[in-house]
Amino acid sequence: MTATYVYGLVRAEAKLPSGLDGLGPSGRVGTIAHQQVAAIVSDVPTDRPLGTRDDLLAHERVLDAVAERTAVLPMRFPAVVEEDGVVSELLAPHQNRFMEALARLDGLVQFNVKGRFEREPVLREIAQADDRIIALRDQVSGQPEDATYYDRIRLGELVVTAMQQRRDEVGRRVLERLQPCAEDISPRRLVEPDEVVNAAFLVGRDRIKKFDDALDGVARELAGRVRFRLVGPLAPYDFVPED
Amino acid sequence: MTMATQRSTAGQVERYTGGGPSGLAEVVELILDKGLVIDVFVRVSLVGIEILTIDARIVVASVDTFLRFAEATNRLDLYAHGGKDLGDLAESVTRGGAKGKTSGALEGAVEKVGEVFTKGRRRDDGDEEDDDDDEPAPRRRARPRARERR
Repeated sequence: MTATYVYGLVRAEAKLPSGLDGLGPSGRVGTIAHQQVAAIVSDVPTDRPLGTRDDLLAHERVLDAVAERTAVLPMRFPAVVEEDGVVSELLAPHQNRFMEALARLDGLVQFNVKGRFEREPVLREIAQADDRIIALRDQVSGQPEDATYYDRIRLGELVVTAMQQRRDEVGRRVLERLQPCAEDISPRRLVEPDEVVNAAFLVGRDRIKKFDDALDGVARELAGRVRFRLVGPLAPYDFVPED
Repeated sequence: MTMATQRSTAGQVERYTGGGPSGLAEVVELILDKGLVIDVFVRVSLVGIEILTIDARIVVASVDTFLRFAEATNRLDLYAHGGKDLGDLAESVTRGGAKGKTSGALEGAVEKVGEVFTKGRRRDDGDEEDDDDDEPAPRRRARPRARERR
């Protein structure tokens, strides 16, 4: 059996950018079409397991490059199909569903926005707004860690709670500003208390500038308190149909 | 496809193009956690990926988070105004002093990815999250004793 690596799906008439560099031994990236839909494919390394850093980067690189010019449904890494099965198992049975999703994503790309508090100024702001924090801080300072374990937990809890209140407020404000420039938003879970926003935005190619300006605007307003990170344009990883 | 990193000149937004230059963290979040899944895919043997995606979802115990932020607050100079070293200090405290498992869950996982995938590779592609593996081991080890005593 020969296996085929599938990066994602495009409409059969879509033109892929030239010079795509895949993860297989040949490095070649091509398409296998069935009626209206096509799979972006390459060969699969047979002498080693998949999942190296280069494999991950190649998967994303191919998809993002395709997404820059045409609608693409990105697969989750890793997507390997038996070669004979690309048409009979993947494309033919799911063609309608794929075409609907591609139509919905037409002209759209994904941007990821992350915002994080500038820790030091925000911590200072929080401490100065709450006498209990100052008092606990004075109490534990210079004391051995063992002796102040519970006081330090209490201190941290006050700080983290205050930070989460602030981030809810600020995060909402950021989303409200970006929402009008995006077709859809997929929020991701915030892990750390100083994470303000982490979301994927589906943006029309003709509105990228507008989206970018909106982010710049809100970033300027929050300068010194929040720093932002914008990644894109990306393939719409967060906006594929659920299974 | 350009791998170049674009940094904005104005405002507080760091910009990265797709295709990996933003670092492995983003790539992992995108392509292991998101994207279309169809039941026809065959299982293939992988390099440590499965473990890694599970790790990325583990939330750091809140006590550790509290202690980490307490420490950062303790080191804060409340009376300084824009001293240049404060940010660095807070950063080194949170990264160095309370490193290891108290680092963000995702960052922790990413470091692991870094270890798995960069073995024997150069680290020159600007991944900012996984460039601090040389940090000393966590200092904070007194907790169990403190608990016993109470």
